[in-house]
Amino acid sequence: MNENDYAKGLWNPYVAGIALGLVLLLTFYLMGTGLGASGAVSRTAAVVGHAVVPEAVEQNGYFGSFYKGGKNPLVDWMVFEVIGVFIGGLIAAMTGGRMKLTVAKGPHVSSGRRLAMALGGGVIAGIGTRFAMGCTSGQALSGGATLALGSWVFMMAVFAAAFIFAIVIRREWV
Amino acid sequence: MTGPLYLFDAFSFTTSLALAVAVGFMFGFVLERAGFGDARTIVSIFYFRDMRVLRVMFSAIVTAMVGLIVLSWVGLFDYSVLVEYALLPTYLWPQLVGGILFGIGFILGGYCPGTSVVAITSGRIDALVFLGGMVAGIWVFAAGFPIWGWFYKSSALGRITLWQAFGLSAEVVALAVLLMALAAFFLAGLGEKWAPYDKAGN
Repeated sequence: MNENDYAKGLWNPYVAGIALGLVLLLTFYLMGTGLGASGAVSRTAAVVGHAVVPEAVEQNGYFGSFYKGGKNPLVDWMVFEVIGVFIGGLIAAMTGGRMKLTVAKGPHVSSGRRLAMALGGGVIAGIGTRFAMGCTSGQALSGGATLALGSWVFMMAVFAAAFIFAIVIRREWV
Repeated sequence: MTGPLYLFDAFSFTTSLALAVAVGFMFGFVLERAGFGDARTIVSIFYFRDMRVLRVMFSAIVTAMVGLIVLSWVGLFDYSVLVEYALLPTYLWPQLVGGILFGIGFILGGYCPGTSVVAITSGRIDALVFLGGMVAGIWVFAAGFPIWGWFYKSSALGRITLWQAFGLSAEVVALAVLLMALAAFFLAGLGEKWAPYDKAGN
């Protein structure tokens, strides 16, 4: 297959996978819990909402627990971890020559259409992460490695749904 | 020292936050180097083009899984502490439904939460929009919590592992996962050769 610009200079996938696994192993050894991401997005959503409607957010059945006892939702292990992800990703993209201000899209769709899909996909994925209490990092990767039952149910559901829905929306990407 | 260190009170919460930034840094760096900073690389697995993301994901799971078991064999890790206090609890139906929603959002949006952060640092505007969509989606979830909050906490099975659910040993299940990963790597290679979306007429 032809190598694309955006995929130039990447690590061998098995080397990258083993490196990722070792970072995850280190995290378990240190913390007992693994890596995550969506929890930090959830806390960000609470804080942004709180800036507009503080009382509604504090009394909300879901967001409320982030504020219980006068806590700051952003003083949280996963929020700090995601700050690290941002810095690590930034340095890797800069040094790897893959940093480019662009819209990643399929060859036959407009940027506007792609951004609309990204927005809609984000909304659906965001709702999904809350019901599943995690995402590909927290549930699939970390829960998967520790052989948690629900994490494997989640992972199988994600891949099955994505492979099937990929057929329906193939024009967006192919 | 026997891990998990934090659960044995080896360091403070403040120290744990510093470690969070450090492991996050490594996580983000490897994700970018693995190719997770662009939606096209990610979704290409669903079209049997470049199966790199699947290879990375499964080799990472297997590495950490085997590593934890080996560390516990040699006495450097107490797996029972992890299972009792830190394992992600199972909520069967919410995780199934959440997984289906997430899978649809994943292929539509092209990212998952962690990869969208890495893609933003790589300058991908679509990733920033995806992240904004996720924030909005979480607001929808929170706003509707009185309606579906009961479901969110339903079918709670607690902190349960696959080996407990099937009445097997951790090693046997780990071996099955390892074999499954090897089969997935083999099938990934076949899928790339098959490339059903890249034939004439598409």
